[in-house]
Amino acid sequence: MSTILKIFVFPAALVIMCLGVLTILGGHITPGGGFQGGAMIAAGFIFCLVVYGLKESPFHLSHDFLAAIESIGALGFVLLGLAGLIFSGFYLYNLGVNLYGIVPAFIQNIFDYPDPIHAGIIPYLNFVVGLKVMVGLSAVVIAFLGFKEFEDGEEEAQE
Amino acid sequence: MIIYAGPLILGFLLGFLLGTRIKENPLSKLKFDASVYAIFLIVAVIVAYFIQPFPYYADAPLASGFVACAVGIIFGKLIFGRQRAPQEIEE
Repeated sequence: MSTILKIFVFPAALVIMCLGVLTILGGHITPGGGFQGGAMIAAGFIFCLVVYGLKESPFHLSHDFLAAIESIGALGFVLLGLAGLIFSGFYLYNLGVNLYGIVPAFIQNIFDYPDPIHAGIIPYLNFVVGLKVMVGLSAVVIAFLGFKEFEDGEEEAQE
Repeated sequence: MIIYAGPLILGFLLGFLLGTRIKENPLSKLKFDASVYAIFLIVAVIVAYFIQPFPYYADAPLASGFVACAVGIIFGKLIFGRQRAPQEIEE
């Protein structure tokens, strides 16, 4: 890759990631959400991986990190759903908003999102979905690049 | 003035998580020093100003979650973003 790309891509990827985070944060009030924002953050990672390659990329996503974040994302979603089931009887009930008035006030306060529209658990769900999508899409590209390097290494060994 | 903590905290957390993953390869010729992050922060504030805050989030004239994420990335890099260990490069 050219030198200009190598200088430009890392800061640009950081800005793309910030935009992805903003998309996640505004998921309950504007178009976008966890999946779209997570895909944008993954696009930042992938941008770096394509330009710098797997070994030289300034972002290093280890297998343990990918597994941990994927698990935290999935578990967070399930646990938020189960909290609704426990306190209201409905899976994924929006505890922070409490539309039917069936949740005690102190539980409602715990899950209330501190913002002007009090969106309840929706921003937290967007957050965990964003984490999961971010590492999921990045893991696919990292695996493909790893396979390609492995194939190239084998071809060189045969020659 | 009311400050809405939700986007600031979640934005900082996500940014911090991303910043901890910035681990440069010590064998690489590419070096991203402090000037890159300074320029990134300035650009982030400018972009956040032009994006404007979300509807109903009129606590600041810029997208506060965007700036919180940029600050989180820099903090994550400063605290956990060390250079990769030799065995990590071999993997």
